[in-house]
Amino acid sequence: MQISVLVALTLLVLIAFGFLTGRRRALSVRAQGGPRLHSLPNYYGYYIALWTGGPALVLLAAYGAFGSGLVNTLAMSQLEREAAPLIAEFERQLDADAQIIALLEEAAEADADAMEAREAITRARDSGLDPQAFQGALAGHTTRLTEIGARLDQRRGEIARSVAARAPSSDAGIRARSGFEFWNSPRERRELFLADARAIAFGEGLASRNTPELRAAALAMRPVEDIFRWSVAALVLSMAVGGLAWGRSRVKASFRARNRVEAAISGLLMFASIIAILTTLGIVFSLLFESLRFFASIGWRVGDFLFGLQWSPQIAIRADQIGQSGAFGAAPLFAGTALITVIAMSVAVPVGLFSAIYMSEYASKRVRAVAKPILEVLAGVPTVVYGFFALLTVGPFLRDFALFLGYEDAVTQSALSAGLVMGVMIIPFVSSLSDDVINAVPQSLRDGAYAMGATKSETIRHVVLPAALPGIVGAVLLGVSRAIGETMIVVMAAGQGANLTANPLESVTTITVQIVTLLTGDQEFDSSKTLAAFALGLVLFVLTLMLNIIALRVVQRFRERYE
Amino acid sequence: MNRPASIRTAVEARLARRHRAERRFQFYGAAAICLAVAFLALLIGSILIQSVPAMTTWRMTLQVELDRAAIDPRGDMSEASLRRGGYNAAIQQALRDQFPDVEDRAELRELFGLYSSVNAARLLNRVVQDPSLVGGTVSFTFPIDDDADLYLKGVSVRESRAPGPAPVRIQAGEGRAVTLSAEARVFDAFVDDVREAARERARILEQRAERAEAALADAIDRDIRAIYEAEARRARAQAERLRDRLDEGAPVVIGPQIPSLLVQVDGAVIRVSDVSADRRSARGEMVISAPLGEAAHSDWTLWTIETPQAGRLISDRQIAWVDALRERGMTRSGFNTELFTYADSREPELAGVLGALIGSVLTMFVTMLLAVPIGVGAAIYLEEFAPKNRITQLIEVNINNLAAVPSIVFGLLGLAVFINTFGLPRSAPLVGGIVLALMTLPTVIISSRAALKAVPPSIREAALGVGASKTQAVFHHVLPLAAPGILTGSIIGLAQALGETAPLLMIGMVAFIADAPSLGLAGFTEPSTVMPVQIFLWSSAAERAFEARTAAAILVLLTLMVSLNAAAIYLRRRFERRW
Repeated sequence: MQISVLVALTLLVLIAFGFLTGRRRALSVRAQGGPRLHSLPNYYGYYIALWTGGPALVLLAAYGAFGSGLVNTLAMSQLEREAAPLIAEFERQLDADAQIIALLEEAAEADADAMEAREAITRARDSGLDPQAFQGALAGHTTRLTEIGARLDQRRGEIARSVAARAPSSDAGIRARSGFEFWNSPRERRELFLADARAIAFGEGLASRNTPELRAAALAMRPVEDIFRWSVAALVLSMAVGGLAWGRSRVKASFRARNRVEAAISGLLMFASIIAILTTLGIVFSLLFESLRFFASIGWRVGDFLFGLQWSPQIAIRADQIGQSGAFGAAPLFAGTALITVIAMSVAVPVGLFSAIYMSEYASKRVRAVAKPILEVLAGVPTVVYGFFALLTVGPFLRDFALFLGYEDAVTQSALSAGLVMGVMIIPFVSSLSDDVINAVPQSLRDGAYAMGATKSETIRHVVLPAALPGIVGAVLLGVSRAIGETMIVVMAAGQGANLTANPLESVTTITVQIVTLLTGDQEFDSSKTLAAFALGLVLFVLTLMLNIIALRVVQRFRERYE
Repeated sequence: MNRPASIRTAVEARLARRHRAERRFQFYGAAAICLAVAFLALLIGSILIQSVPAMTTWRMTLQVELDRAAIDPRGDMSEASLRRGGYNAAIQQALRDQFPDVEDRAELRELFGLYSSVNAARLLNRVVQDPSLVGGTVSFTFPIDDDADLYLKGVSVRESRAPGPAPVRIQAGEGRAVTLSAEARVFDAFVDDVREAARERARILEQRAERAEAALADAIDRDIRAIYEAEARRARAQAERLRDRLDEGAPVVIGPQIPSLLVQVDGAVIRVSDVSADRRSARGEMVISAPLGEAAHSDWTLWTIETPQAGRLISDRQIAWVDALRERGMTRSGFNTELFTYADSREPELAGVLGALIGSVLTMFVTMLLAVPIGVGAAIYLEEFAPKNRITQLIEVNINNLAAVPSIVFGLLGLAVFINTFGLPRSAPLVGGIVLALMTLPTVIISSRAALKAVPPSIREAALGVGASKTQAVFHHVLPLAAPGILTGSIIGLAQALGETAPLLMIGMVAFIADAPSLGLAGFTEPSTVMPVQIFLWSSAAERAFEARTAAAILVLLTLMVSLNAAAIYLRRRFERRW
């Protein structure tokens, strides 16, 4: 850390020095007479500063981003090489252990049973029978699988400990044990191991444990890190000095410094605009990649995922669970999302559209000046606040109202309360977009209608609205895409239960709620439960993207017609 | 002959109808706007009302004796030794001194439930800073437990006090047990209330049973029938039990389901356990003892706690103690400064938004540092430099689409790319800032482009005309004129990022963080949380006191956002130029 800061400071000094050198040199060239300078003196300074700082800063940033990871990998792979005999021994014992073989056989059996039960459930459903009994059996098999998994883990741990205990307690032995422990840890344990080792080695934060193995890992890291630090520091500084010298050597009266600097600037600007594309690519590829892994883990039954009726991912908790026992049928989520979206839009469209019509056609300037900011405030309220409002004010009110009307099963977290509040959130969205669209309808159309004796409302209904319809449809579609992607309101107010229902007073769950549920809390990144969230994210992204593209197209067409 | 007249009447009738339709239509529009305004008023109003209990807090002041042996176990007055001292025991002793007759373990646990032991850490810090306090007595003020706080605010418990209608004689029994007896039916009102409430409940239960039976008659499915049958049976049985209690000849036993009765007399508080059938005498135990003579007391108070014990988290004894502490002037209500000076805590009375505020500041700093330069750069390129070709068009379409991508998807991107691929730390403001920067980038780009577009071409042409290069024209002339608009757009984008929650949940900023992150370079990689996430966390907390604190935190967040937006509006008004 200290060295990096020192290097960065030196670099800043060098850049400043480079700028001054360039400027001074340009001025001295001019003072000597001869041909006129091509550019202003400052540009020569910028040019040299760019050469001094640019490459060096890129290198420094790359080191900052990847340096520690590289050090960890190098040090740990060294330790793992030393642990090779232990690892070989462990694998040999694992293959030979009678208990593990028995457990694996039992697991395969249980998995087959679970498979059968699942098929029986599907068959029962298809033939209209009650699958209750089979579901009980499936749950039994699943628990058995979990138990077997736990026993397997326990036995593996025992073997690992006995193997590790066999290593001598010399320095080399501890290093080997350290490598073995790292090799044998699951992913999130590895991260913790590395973090602790780094904490011991470089005093970055506090270590959660302090074992001989961790100290050995820390000792292995230190020399690698030192070499890296010093070589990067040297490389950065020599690059800076070299850049400075190279830039300086090019400063002549005829040198087109300004053009070079401007080319660099426009390159930077272009890079800035490409970041937007990189973001989209990042989204598409990360979602696609993780979704493919998810589909691979459920055996490419994409149809089951998209149209399956049972959603209970919570069963597949364990990372090394044999077979897949969670049910990933996302249809209830899509139905819940659709239900809430419909409720939200049935609030937002009438209210938003009518307020847009009133604002653009009837309202006086004074009313507009008051009402428009209020709608903007409604748009600026954070969604978590809407969620709180839905959870503590609207939800209980609707429940009590339903109870008052005699509906017994009313709950606080219902599709109706989430949908209503989400509708309020979308009102300003629909109204401001529709307002723009209505204002874009040419005045001549209205004048024509008035000339024929139409009243204002007739003009609006029969002339303005039909003309603005494509734009309004676009606005509504954008509103729908917003409702589908909205997260906090539904997370707080719609509930968790994956009910396949059209009853707005029941609690439903949505795509976004399940993404949040799957990804918050403890997680391993490789379990299909976590990966399922990315598959849901992909569905969400594709859905909203299609809506957006259609909506933007429609709005653009509309604009072109009247411009 | 009368045809013109009939046409006229027909037209007039139609005209009236058309005008009515016109008025109706206009009314719909006005109603829509009023509805939107009403929603906003309801939203803000309900949050304001809900936040009221969190604005003040009750604190207890105890004279804590810092015994040298207990506070400084090693006896060398070193910091290490002072940090091992028994501070909580000292506070407990100070509280016991107030109620010397509490001895039972369960009762002691109730007594110590009046404050959180986390407070001992504050006493520790005070002693470590000023070791001369050891051996003396310090006056230590700390927030009282949240349930007691809600009771003192009168939010969670309904209670009423009435003077005793006739003199009562109190006989001490074994231990702290006492018997109250009077000539008149002094417990009449209480028993009537209890009976009335029981009758009401029994009526509701019977109604429910009847409904279940009616449904049972309609149901065909066997499982559903079984459910309704069980429901009806349960309701009947409960109602039956309540009817038993209504029996005039039976004594009233005060259980957790019915209101509690306390009796205050001469500084003593008696908790009544049952009232005899003739409503003249009752048995109970002393919660706060005082010497009571054999003579009849005429000045006494019937103190009914109408919320049954099952419906509140504070026990009868705790209520009596808290009330006594208030009488003795040891509790005081004040502005809830803890809310602004503490980080998150599991104890509502010690939970504050400071940690989340600092986390928000750090996150917004990263977002600003990334989104504004990149966004403005992209806008300048697209508006001033980019050739009109396929790639530029692609970038434009792409930015428009990115603006409408759900925010949670950016969280997924952050999780997959920055945390799992690049190995950046989870829950850190650095990653949160990067994700939010990517999310606000389209907003910044679009508003900056609008601001650049608003600068008239004559400015560029004039600059180019006097020999400036294109870059010089843009950076020296166009950009300064567009700066107010760009700034406004950036601030609005940042305000939007400030209120965003969903993407931050994805990158693990939902963890419970009890320490505020440091406001320095190291803070960017420390685990932290931000304001909206804090609101989300508190809103799902079980303790009722968090409800008001959530509303208060929302007010803090809204204030921040309003001031950001006000700054944007001010800048726009102050520097806006029209051509």
